[in-house]
Amino acid sequence: MESAVKSGALLSLEDLHPSSPFFADGSSLRVIGKLQEYSSETALAIIVDGSAKLKVNTNHLRDLSFRAGSIYQFIGELHIHQPENEAILQARVGRNVDGIDLNLYHQSLQLVRQFQAERTGNRMAQ
Amino acid sequence: MEKERLKSLTAVHVKLLAFDLLALTRTPHTFSRRGLFLSRAETLGTVTSRDHKPGRFLKFAVDDGTGCVPCILWLNHLTSPHFAPRRAADQDGLLMAAGVAASQSSEVRIGAVVRVRGRITSYRGSVQITVANVVVERDPNAEILHWLDCLRLARKVYDRRSISCP
Repeated sequence: MESAVKSGALLSLEDLHPSSPFFADGSSLRVIGKLQEYSSETALAIIVDGSAKLKVNTNHLRDLSFRAGSIYQFIGELHIHQPENEAILQARVGRNVDGIDLNLYHQSLQLVRQFQAERTGNRMAQ
Repeated sequence: MEKERLKSLTAVHVKLLAFDLLALTRTPHTFSRRGLFLSRAETLGTVTSRDHKPGRFLKFAVDDGTGCVPCILWLNHLTSPHFAPRRAADQDGLLMAAGVAASQSSEVRIGAVVRVRGRITSYRGSVQITVANVVVERDPNAEILHWLDCLRLARKVYDRRSISCP
């Protein structure tokens, strides 16, 4: 079990761009954003955070109900689809986090990544 | 007042981020972080895997965004030889402990955010937590507050090689 489950690296959607080291096929990520669209036919969700958006495949999440305008957190693996270079997160875990303080979340996320980078020397964490 | 210098925090549950907890050094009888001896820990994060063997154990992983902490909740109070002396001395207490553990195990579901406290142990060379108690956190800000607690404690308390006590 220990080696099978990868931790989802904390990431703001705005930091997920093609030049980011996290923008790679198979990257395990944890993202958060407001649900803009959801299709029950395809199980595809689009979450947004500021000007950034991400498509999330939720077909493995059976017990989660989706409501546009609510805030969701997902952990999963990123898949880069060619030739469009489109990133889609294949979510393995998701939850509604309505009520979260997003400003505090983003500030704290930066502090955690900074601390982790200091201690591990891993620049990916920054 | 003269201050006593301690090099151990074994009596408390230390709050460590997963990457920090998983990097602890094993010593013969306990674990250490930068020379500070530790034996109990608290972690908080999302349950990302679950392996349940009824009447034996529940293994699960807690992902806090910096790593996955393997946790084991024993459910074998009524059958394991480990609990035999306690079965003889305090059967009612042990039955109650078994009931609490079974009830807690049903709360641990994939996707739930849980706060876990327990002993730091190792299995096949990797650090894990042997669960004393686990509760589901419903406050969406609980993880953030845990991160900030971990950062503050690491910098202000655990990073010091010895702790000053009045």
